[in-house]
Amino acid sequence: MAESRRGFLKQSVATVAAASVAACAPEDGRNPPTTDTPPAPLPSTTLRAVAQAILPAELGDDGQQRAVAAFERWSDGLEPVVELAHPYLVPETRYSGPDPRPGWTAQLQGLEKESRSRFGRGLPDLEIPTRRTLLTRAVEQTGSGLGAPANANHVAIALMAHFFASPLATDLCYRRTIAKQQCRGLDGATAEPGAAP
Amino acid sequence: MTRVIESDICIVGAGITAAMVAERLAERTDASITVIEAGQRTASLTERTNTRARMLAYGENPYPNDHIPDQTGTGAMYRQMVVGGSAMHWGGAIPRYSPEDFRLRSLYGVGFDWPISFEDLEPYYQEAEERIGAAGEQGPADCDPRSKPYPMPPLPLSYNLARMRDWTDSAGIPFWTQPWARNTRPYRGRNVCQRCDTCAVCPTGAKYTPDFAFDRLLAERRIDLVTRTLVRRLTLEPGTGRIASAEAVDRDAPDEPVEFRADTFVIAAGHAWSSHLLLLSANARFPDGLANRTGNVGRYMTGHWYVSGFIDLPMRLYPGIFTNNSLLSHRFASPGALDRYVRHDLRLWESNVGRAPRLRNDDGRLLWGDEVMADWRERNRTGATARIRAYYDVLPDRESRLTLDGAKTNALGDPMPRIDYRPARASLDLEDHTHDTILGRFDHLARAAGGAMMSTRTSRLWEHPGGGCRMGDDPASSVVDPWGRTHDHENLFVVGAPTIVSSGCANGTLTFCALSLMAAEEMEKGL
Ligand SMILES: Cc1cc2nc3c(=O)[nH]c(=O)nc-3n(C[C@H](O)[C@H](O)[C@H](O)COP(=O)(O)OP(=O)(O)OC[C@H]3O[C@@H](n4cnc5c(N)ncnc54)[C@H](O)[C@@H]3O)c2cc1C
Ligand code: SF4
Repeated sequence: MAESRRGFLKQSVATVAAASVAACAPEDGRNPPTTDTPPAPLPSTTLRAVAQAILPAELGDDGQQRAVAAFERWSDGLEPVVELAHPYLVPETRYSGPDPRPGWTAQLQGLEKESRSRFGRGLPDLEIPTRRTLLTRAVEQTGSGLGAPANANHVAIALMAHFFASPLATDLCYRRTIAKQQCRGLDGATAEPGAAP
Repeated sequence: MTRVIESDICIVGAGITAAMVAERLAERTDASITVIEAGQRTASLTERTNTRARMLAYGENPYPNDHIPDQTGTGAMYRQMVVGGSAMHWGGAIPRYSPEDFRLRSLYGVGFDWPISFEDLEPYYQEAEERIGAAGEQGPADCDPRSKPYPMPPLPLSYNLARMRDWTDSAGIPFWTQPWARNTRPYRGRNVCQRCDTCAVCPTGAKYTPDFAFDRLLAERRIDLVTRTLVRRLTLEPGTGRIASAEAVDRDAPDEPVEFRADTFVIAAGHAWSSHLLLLSANARFPDGLANRTGNVGRYMTGHWYVSGFIDLPMRLYPGIFTNNSLLSHRFASPGALDRYVRHDLRLWESNVGRAPRLRNDDGRLLWGDEVMADWRERNRTGATARIRAYYDVLPDRESRLTLDGAKTNALGDPMPRIDYRPARASLDLEDHTHDTILGRFDHLARAAGGAMMSTRTSRLWEHPGGGCRMGDDPASSVVDPWGRTHDHENLFVVGAPTIVSSGCANGTLTFCALSLMAAEEMEKGL
């Protein structure tokens, strides 16, 4: 059952429109056509235009570019419907949701289209407040948590979730070298973390 | 055709308790030892760097193929069936139970006394700590008794935990570093901890996992490890109560049965599958299952519940450096005389709950870019969050049971286990009092720092479960004797979690290992 559920979800990636939704089991066992080809990369120029509107300006242009590149690498490596780490004392296997990337691509294309039709210019040519107005409409239904990027129902939220979960973001927040999840030996463990460069 | 494999000792399961028994018997006897594991091998140490990276990035299971799809029960039980068992994934917190845990009836008039005392088990605790490689700090002697020092110094406290310990000292409650199965110096060929903080999967080998023990024993040719082979039933010698064989199926050749013959059989299959195998092995002479003449197999399933919370502290901390370390107190697990029974541990971690980056501010307004960062900074500038949890023991009812579930079978048609945990009346009567006492102590701690509770919750998940084959001197109310030998079959042992009487207020695996080593000593006598 669990294995067939995984098969179904993997095969249904093309039918998922915009969001990564909670994994659900097919009731009737129908298998939609397979799409094993990886999705096309996210439209890069629009993604960067979104990033400028939603990532901290204090990162600077370079920092924002690096954050987007890290998100793209992460997105390229994402595999839909994989087995997740087992929750403690739960005897069932859990899987991640279907592929969110086709939906994210559609959202970026939609933003670009809306920008052109409403303002006669592409998203990268809009002022930051105007881009945010478009994005606010797109993410209106979002709650307050950032959550796991793969579960984000909008590409803008996914990009923010990915950046704000990074070790760099933590160091920036505290202005200290916390370097979370980095291997570093036991020496100096009790010292107050030093100022971030 | 049936494949027959013979040895002196046959161990069912390749988890941490099996590793303890196999290692001790291999060192101290010449016996031939076969270990049978239903699962297969998972990510090797070198592969763990990559699986760790994917777990961090995508939440993926860092141990591929660590379970058997159709072999799963109902109720709180582990999913893992793999060489190393659940202790591949474990955090490695290895506190001992308290002396009081073994004498609940005599001291407090609740639950049951064990047939052994803490003092009986103490040498085996020490041995387990040495085999695993325990790094720990001696707590106050009256609530952390030990006859010898830990094999390794404790994990150093992070800056955050050191500040938190200043706070708990000011509250008058002693806390010390949680003992861990993580190396603070090179130990038995394994690396020192690098504080990379993903202890569910350790890329350096500093965390003990049982595969290290099995690999060494295999390299020394001291055991045979037969993987992907599920034992389906144990059979009896005609005319005696002795076990003759373990009948198994090779998952790669299901049509060729495998039969394991041995002088001594050891079930080290964890808290769920051990009772399950005994029940599955029912025959004409034992129609209710092996070792079950008095109907106790699968009963008294046990574990502990908890109360947890988050505390708002007026101090500047920097969460994220080494979140997998924590502070521990057993002060209230060894409380001395009590008007009314309540015992629990206390555990503290740094946390970012309530202080993580967020998309909307308190008014619900969407935040973008610098606003998210500013809001995040502001919520961390003057305060920090601590996570606190208290495990308290829950006394099991006789009807707290594992049974065979005819409605759920594996591909071979064998019924799967179903666990319906049930607390004894005494525990239900004490529940409110227990919660009130613990919440009062949380509040006391919070106020000592000038802080406040942010939230609390109670959980009835039966953590660190055990039982089903509980030990006792009286066969009428138990399945095995204090050394894990079944009352009904002189050459059949059950070790570890299934044999416990109650599960204390502390993570249980070190106790399961100590009990397994005590059983192994008894097995040695027969060899
Ligand atoms: C995420 C996680 C974190 C944890 N953290 C901690 C912690 O910090 N501290 C702590 O004390 N405990 C912790 N635990 C619990 C701990 O892992 C277990 O208590 C311990 O590993 C149990 O060991 P075991 O040998 O009794 O059983 P298991 O690990 O379950 O091993 C039994 C083995 O037997 C095999 N088996 C079963 N039936 C058969 C059969 N019929 N034929 C062949 N093979 C069979 C199974 O496949 C399994 O591999 C944690 C557990 C998890 C999952
Ligand atoms: S913190 Fe230590 S034990 Fe944990 S994963 Fe890192 S090296 Fe291993």
